[in-house]
Amino acid sequence: MLQSKAFMKKTRRGQVVKVVREHYLRDDISCGAIFCQSCEKESACLSSSAPNILIVDTNVTLHHIDLLENNAIDDVVILSVVLEEVKNRNLSVYNRIRALCSNPMRRFFVFANEHHKDTFVKTMPGESPNDRNDRAIRSASLWYQKHLGQGPPILLLTNDIENKRKALQEGICTETVQSYVESLGRPELFDLVAQVCDSSLAEMDIEDSRPSKKKLIYPEHRPMSEITSGLQQRIFHQGKLRVNRYNPIEAYVNSESIDEEIIIYGRINMNRAFEGDVVAVELLPEDQWKEGNTLKLIEDEEDEVEEKVGLAPDSVDAAPTSLQAKPGDFGSKIGSRTCGRVVGIIKRNWHSYCGSLEPMPMPAGVGGAVNALFVASDRRIPKIRIQTRQLGNLLDKRILVAVDSWDISLRYPLGHYVKTIGDIGDRATESEVLMIENDINNRPFSEQVLACLPPLPWSVSQDDLKCNYREDIRHIRVFSVDPPGMYQIREANQMIEEFMLAANISVAEKILKHYPLCALLRRHPIPTPKMLEPLIRTAAAVGVKLDITSSKSLADSLDNALGNNDPYFNKLIRILATRCMTQAVYFSSGELTPPEYYHYGLAAALYTHFTSPIRRYADVIVHRLLAAALGLFKLPAVFHDKVQLNSLADNLNFRHRNAQMASRASVELHTLIYFRNRPTDAEARIVKIRSNGFIVFVPKFGIEGPVYLTPKAKDNNGEESCKNSADWIVDEEQQRISTRDGKRVYMVLDVVHVHIEVIEPQPNRSKLVLTLLK
Amino acid sequence: MEDVSSRGLHFQLSDSQRNRLRKSRELLREAPGNYHPSAFVNIADPIHVENEATVLKGHGTQVLDGQLLATLSGVVERVDQLVTVKPLRCRYNAETGDVVVGRITEVGTKRWKVDINFRQDVHLMLSAVNLPGGIQRRRTVIDELNMRSLFEENDLISAEVQSVHSDGSVHLHTRSLKYGKLTNGQLVKVPPYLVKRLKQHFHNLKSCAVDMIIGCNGYIWICAAVDSLPSNPEIEKITGDSGAPEMDSCNESISLKVRENICRLANSIRVLSALGFLIYPDTIIDTFDASISKGVAIKDMLGAEFLVMIAEREASRRTKNNYML
Amino acid sequence: MALEFISPEGLRLDGRRPAEIRQLRANLGVIDKADGSATFEMGNTKVIAAVYGPHEVQNRSQQLLDQALVKCEYSMANFSTGDRRRKQKGDRRSVEISLVIRQSMEAAIMTHLLPRTQIDIFVHVLQADGGTRSACINAASLALADAGIPMRDIVASCASGYLNNTPLLDLNYLEDSGGGPDVTIALLPKLDKITLLQMDAKLPLEMFEKVFELGNKGCVAIANYMRNVLLENTKDLAFARGVVKV
Repeated sequence: MLQSKAFMKKTRRGQVVKVVREHYLRDDISCGAIFCQSCEKESACLSSSAPNILIVDTNVTLHHIDLLENNAIDDVVILSVVLEEVKNRNLSVYNRIRALCSNPMRRFFVFANEHHKDTFVKTMPGESPNDRNDRAIRSASLWYQKHLGQGPPILLLTNDIENKRKALQEGICTETVQSYVESLGRPELFDLVAQVCDSSLAEMDIEDSRPSKKKLIYPEHRPMSEITSGLQQRIFHQGKLRVNRYNPIEAYVNSESIDEEIIIYGRINMNRAFEGDVVAVELLPEDQWKEGNTLKLIEDEEDEVEEKVGLAPDSVDAAPTSLQAKPGDFGSKIGSRTCGRVVGIIKRNWHSYCGSLEPMPMPAGVGGAVNALFVASDRRIPKIRIQTRQLGNLLDKRILVAVDSWDISLRYPLGHYVKTIGDIGDRATESEVLMIENDINNRPFSEQVLACLPPLPWSVSQDDLKCNYREDIRHIRVFSVDPPGMYQIREANQMIEEFMLAANISVAEKILKHYPLCALLRRHPIPTPKMLEPLIRTAAAVGVKLDITSSKSLADSLDNALGNNDPYFNKLIRILATRCMTQAVYFSSGELTPPEYYHYGLAAALYTHFTSPIRRYADVIVHRLLAAALGLFKLPAVFHDKVQLNSLADNLNFRHRNAQMASRASVELHTLIYFRNRPTDAEARIVKIRSNGFIVFVPKFGIEGPVYLTPKAKDNNGEESCKNSADWIVDEEQQRISTRDGKRVYMVLDVVHVHIEVIEPQPNRSKLVLTLLK
Repeated sequence: MEDVSSRGLHFQLSDSQRNRLRKSRELLREAPGNYHPSAFVNIADPIHVENEATVLKGHGTQVLDGQLLATLSGVVERVDQLVTVKPLRCRYNAETGDVVVGRITEVGTKRWKVDINFRQDVHLMLSAVNLPGGIQRRRTVIDELNMRSLFEENDLISAEVQSVHSDGSVHLHTRSLKYGKLTNGQLVKVPPYLVKRLKQHFHNLKSCAVDMIIGCNGYIWICAAVDSLPSNPEIEKITGDSGAPEMDSCNESISLKVRENICRLANSIRVLSALGFLIYPDTIIDTFDASISKGVAIKDMLGAEFLVMIAEREASRRTKNNYML
Repeated sequence: MALEFISPEGLRLDGRRPAEIRQLRANLGVIDKADGSATFEMGNTKVIAAVYGPHEVQNRSQQLLDQALVKCEYSMANFSTGDRRRKQKGDRRSVEISLVIRQSMEAAIMTHLLPRTQIDIFVHVLQADGGTRSACINAASLALADAGIPMRDIVASCASGYLNNTPLLDLNYLEDSGGGPDVTIALLPKLDKITLLQMDAKLPLEMFEKVFELGNKGCVAIANYMRNVLLENTKDLAFARGVVKV
């Protein structure tokens, strides 16, 4: 049964290392067809009634995953060589195709062609890995054709012309995705077909339609070999591209090979990289580095740099980058910042994005394919060009779009429509968008999950009473201090909080004592002096001295920070203080040293979440640990698997953060809806001075945003804007901004009155605007 | 071509040679008179006996939970009630009366230590050696001091196993004229299991003027025949009254013909050993004669062609003659 | 994302199923000078073992009056791994593995039959791809049998592990470095006795039992293969020599 074929692989890990791995070929791999006479049928799913049994190649899987996910496509064989390639190139597509294959409702079968003795192909001398994989796909298709001679015909779907030609030569039925979808006669599937960049499409790009103007907009990406050697020689730096949420043409790359954060300005320098892509960056010559504050856009872009009015941030993590103190922030003495440009993309982070189409007139004629520009609601994502045959249906909808490719000659990437979420502006639709954007799964629980629950209606059974780890406390009078409408009972509430903290802390102590290496705890990192610097600066400006040596001393000095007959002053300082801190995170105790377990916010040496297992998954985990510590249950296996436990903690943090982001975004959405038809005046406090205005916080609504003292430069001619901004003098030390003549002075924490209203500068992108009331 | 390493010799076999070798091996497998398949046992295999309590448990067996098990991989041999497992490859297992060839490793007080491929070095007591001046002579302190003049370290001797003790130690003796120091020849080592125990282990091959001692321990000594030497001083001098055995320390000059014969015999033995065939005078001389009749040069005897030829010869001989020893 | 060691189809990275061992190959009598010798291959792991003895004890002071002295030396060829690095002889790992092999062999050799003698076991890793410890024990066991040293039973060894919530048999290097536990078992299969049990990670008891059970089965399978090799070797030798009746 075992056949062995050793093959050589070369990997680069600093040096060339020869890797020899065994590769066993088997004769017991099932073909997955229900009607097959010879193969084992346990996992078989391909039905004999299918019109075709489809085999897809790697690129089809990568680019047409949305099509494959559609119910119209079934009876598909996914080859393991395809899966492997997809996994290396795009993990999210890999997860989606895996989900398809394991879905019992769909008929997708994974055929391990690489380990089947008849379908394995050896790399021929001089053959590229791509060619070899294509050959493997053809060899498997041919095998299927022979093996399932009686069943439905095998159809290989490939868009690769060369592969298609060879397949036809070898006698394999093959079609392109486009022609296959056409043959199905289901027009709604057309939009799901990915856009592949070829010359004909490039000409469709309106901006480049005239041949004379057809030009390459972006520089070519460097070949991978050059990037690898460049990374080794430290000419290039590798890191994840993070686009500034508030200024989408500015991005940062943190690379291990360089201490500083590399800033990338402008779309040309970003060179088609998306948020989250792993990129290789080359540093620009130092004379092209930008002064931190005098930065102006170097390109004529329609995207504007602006700060948004939104919910007040409650921690560093939630604050926009531009609000954070950074070296090079305005007034700072540090000069220019390291600038770079992207020379290659090592790993794409493409997935589908929520948004809407840019309004455009309906073209003449019906049913034809039209090009439309898609604007993602996440501002970090560039516009995406898609082709659709249902423009009329989509114009006023929130839709999901996936990216397919981005050619150097195209200003925007190409993508395709995935699905419609709902009408723009509709509360449910917009909420759904928030969910999708923050990767929150709001699908109903699966049947397997529900099967874990006892059937309803539930009552205490004899078994429950006999259970040795449960106690009957029904005879004790229990009441809730937190019923609806009872939140006025302040003290009771406070009491509950103290009980809760005490419970959490004692549980943390107990589980750590029993499981010093795998207790799930929650820590709050001690803020560094640098993080607290903006707070101290602001406090100093208003004459308050803060002691940040410990959390207790900070709490004490915050208690003492009382403004002169300003009841709100203390609260404001506290709000600013929390903003300087990072969020608390879950972690496994084996990963850190005991001093790092500290929870700064609660001033507790140990802390965890235990009290709400019905709301938080972390509490469920802690409950299991506690149950094991008390000897009631066995410790689940996950706690012994360090890697799995860490990924669990990471996921908890990721989900927690996403939930918070979504919650904030939801409040912002509802704030927007609230103000849409009722412009309001309100009292606000200045929390930060900027070069052309200040940031205010509106306590009544909990919102925060910029107030511009000078009209935006964009609205005036350049000269005027210079003059205007020169009228205002910023005093960094005192945190104040004043007119040259000193008639008007604004200081940090001053009270101002602002007007709140909703405007819609671009269609479908309404936003809140704060203006100062004189 | 393929490299084949066969117990002591390395060959390059062509395809046809390999096929011939394989074929003759198959013939040998099917040759009549072979072991019955049930005779083979592996470590920890049960050995079938009628009544475990009545049989005598010999070497290579153990009793576990009333069951007789093998402790070696080999063949079961039964002699009356005695059941033993004989391993095919192992060190020499000394038995009283065996003629052995050995090498002195150490000269101690009143004894020599001798390597005879046994699991320990064995003893040759001064009292078990013939001394000049008669067999029954008292061993004096002078004799003890002069032990090195009899046998030095690295000297080769022939001897007989005098006794095997229960603690595993073995004693030799050379109290016969035929035993003693070996000179004027060549030592060939073969696995002891290939040596057939015979009545006679000293062989005088008159036709080639060569003497051969096939030690039961797998050490085979081939030397110029004593009577072929120009003078024949050895035996007289050891037994003689002069008491000066220094003539042993130097080799006599031997004629080219005899030296060639010694080498040819040695190579014959090496070929047989490489093929795993039994080694006794008949097979040695047969191989020797075959090499001469085929006109194979001495150096070519260790080549692939001769090896394959000998294998085929042995195979056909055993299958035709209903070979049984 | 953690590496996927077993695909949802139930195949490991090299195409084996969880409870399958790699291809085994063994050769006896590969070193002429030695009393017994063997090479043993488990997939790409290849080791050679040589046994000298029983012979006179070299260091008289170490001589044991009631049993044989067993010595073992484990070493790794510089070229045995992908990166050629000169390896220090006698580093901690080698000393530990030497000890492990010696102890599991001593449990099988009937040392009381060979008093005042010494048995030297040399094992050398020619190519390393996980499970070297097991391969060394198997090779040493075969070499001892080849040398005709009386043993209670053959020692067969196999490693098993636990990755992606599945017990895996006979881990290769890639799986070995997957961070999961690695349980090495050496077994006297006919006597059903364990002579070695090593694990370098924590594993809950019920998991461990599954992994251990699997490792045990692996040992039995390997032992069967080894017995077969030994028997064939015995037959080859016997048939070449012919029957000897004294």
